[in-house]
Amino acid sequence: MSVPVARRQLLARKGRTFAGIAGIATALLLVLALKAIFAGMEQRLTAYIDGSGADVIVAQRGVRSMHMTESALPERAARAITALPGVARARPILYVPATLERGDRRGLVYLIGEDPGDAPIALARGRRPGRGEIVLDRELAKTLRSPPGSSVRAFGRSFRVSGEVSGFTLISNAFAFVRRQDLAATLRSPGVVSYILVEAEPGVRPSELAERIDRAVPGVTASTREAFARSERRLVGDMSTDIVRAMILVGFVIGVAVAGLVAYSAALSQLREYAVLRALGLRARGALGLALAQVGTMVAAAFLLALALVWALAQLLPALSPLLSLAIKPGDVAQTLALAGAVALGAAAFPALRVSRVDPASVFRR
Amino acid sequence: MIAARSVPIARRQLLSERSKLAVTVLAVAAAVALVLLLSGLRRGIGEQVTLYVDRQPPVLVAQAGARNFLAQTSVLPEGLGKRVERVPGVAAATPISQQFAMFTLHERRVLAILIGYDPGKAGGPWELASGRAPHAAGELVLDRVVASEHGLRPGSTLAYRGARLRVVGLSSGTSGFMTPIAFVTRQTANALRRQSGTANFFLVQPDPGVTPVALAARIERQVAGVSALTRTEVAANDRSLFATVFSKILLPMVAIAFAVAILVIGLAVYSSTAERSREYATLKALGLRSSALLRLVGVQAAALALAGSALGTLLGFAAARGISSVAPKYLVAIGPETVAFVAASALAMAIVAALLPARFVARIDPATAFRR
Repeated sequence: MSVPVARRQLLARKGRTFAGIAGIATALLLVLALKAIFAGMEQRLTAYIDGSGADVIVAQRGVRSMHMTESALPERAARAITALPGVARARPILYVPATLERGDRRGLVYLIGEDPGDAPIALARGRRPGRGEIVLDRELAKTLRSPPGSSVRAFGRSFRVSGEVSGFTLISNAFAFVRRQDLAATLRSPGVVSYILVEAEPGVRPSELAERIDRAVPGVTASTREAFARSERRLVGDMSTDIVRAMILVGFVIGVAVAGLVAYSAALSQLREYAVLRALGLRARGALGLALAQVGTMVAAAFLLALALVWALAQLLPALSPLLSLAIKPGDVAQTLALAGAVALGAAAFPALRVSRVDPASVFRR
Repeated sequence: MIAARSVPIARRQLLSERSKLAVTVLAVAAAVALVLLLSGLRRGIGEQVTLYVDRQPPVLVAQAGARNFLAQTSVLPEGLGKRVERVPGVAAATPISQQFAMFTLHERRVLAILIGYDPGKAGGPWELASGRAPHAAGELVLDRVVASEHGLRPGSTLAYRGARLRVVGLSSGTSGFMTPIAFVTRQTANALRRQSGTANFFLVQPDPGVTPVALAARIERQVAGVSALTRTEVAANDRSLFATVFSKILLPMVAIAFAVAILVIGLAVYSSTAERSREYATLKALGLRSSALLRLVGVQAAALALAGSALGTLLGFAAARGISSVAPKYLVAIGPETVAFVAASALAMAIVAALLPARFVARIDPATAFRR
């Protein structure tokens, strides 16, 4: 008959074990939450691209993103693309960062200038922008307190709010839509567009069409919508790699310290029990296995708790701050699991070293 | 006569297991250092985003409605400079162009602020580490930290928006995590964005004795369609913009780090309290009240919080210094107010952590001291 020593020792002091699990879970949460925040940013970043209805996105040569990026193309490129075989439609847009103001309220936006009838994004409320009008993201409209019918100012002129869209708010900017002509006049850039959104004819593969456009139109880079969105999402990764690495290191140090602390204090309080086990024939290797089993159980429970906590955060945070959304990706979960394994191994060293030094004879002393 | 002597129980209990004490203090210190580093990074980003504006003339003229130098669009006709210069009190109005440049270096995107300026006038690099300033089309001066990270030097070329830019110099004091600065001629910048005959901003130098605030107000009154702002105003707006964005990411991390610190202290105090329940029962049997026991636990928690915070502060400063030498693009600016905030938080941590084992202490039965 075997005795589940590791489990019994863990359950002997439930309060300490649960507090330890909570501590390790919080350390793992540091990593999981940060990764989920960045993954959430990635998802939101491509909301416009995903909903643009384009199969191929054409930008200035070498440009493969929109966020914090500039692209300028001659308007005639749109006409050249429309004439290519396999192109159903080529829609030029203007895309610029701007500040919208209403009284003393301000909001940073990506302002998109589209031609009438070209906008594929579904409206949540109101109607498409006419001349001198603007459509705002719903969260931005709330921030500015600008319902349809009110006015906001941009570039020193007034735009009347004609409608709202939903789900186009990033952590830094929201999206707003105006007529391209209005924006071109404001930017003093007649004949220049930022991007061209291309729809393929039925049966034409977007990758083929992108290659055809690249070959036929000078000075442009054509990407399929998926490739463009992927490239856009990679922007977040490119800019956050160092911060995420640092957080993983800190999460590891704290996790090892907390798990080690719990396991070590548990081992200290159970030294007599370990001495009894050693007197009964438990080898140092067995003691190490026992310590590892205890720490491993705690870290596994902590990992599940951290997962539950980040899931709860993902549900809760958007309600508190609509600009912050968390996305839990399987790859990030796997990385945190690997971190948890490393924490368990690192932390098991604390009690193992202490327990391996226990003299079996000490059980007979008092 | 026996002299009255007190026994430093809290200290003795803490010091009885030194390795456990060290691990506890280290865990708290790691959490505190993390709070300091994240707060310092947020402040550092704020300081880095105004690197360019801080070194420019005291008034900036932009398109009407503009409030920031970064992350928004301002387009003005080049000829407007003459009108601005006719405003009394203006010594010079220099056009510059500004854009976010997303360079692709070694398959990784690197964001920079690309400044287009007229050679020989204001707005160019203020310190060159090597090479020379750009004076012809397609020439680029790049921040030396970005350049060294990607093995670029004067003579290297890089592709950007369909053009090949040739590095002719490397600038110092222009490094930033999100916003390193690069310089080209305004002609190059305008060609890249197909906006000839325009400028994004005018840098305005006042006549001696003219205050920037008064001059900005006068320019706005006399020149239609522009926003005139003082350099201080623009810098404050940019700092606030970037700090707000980063706060949204960093604040949840800071909150979690605090939760870790509280849990660690609570855990350490709780486990040592639980292990010493017989000692506490003996003390209770000797007449020590529950409130005194709570105070004892509180003192232990406070000691752990303060020791952890002190070590964490030292670690935070050391890490900040290490980061700036290993990765100079990150500025971790730990200000006195952050340290004060951490000290106050340590106190709060101690109080919360001491409350965790409080119930346990209150429930200890003095009679258990006599059981075996």
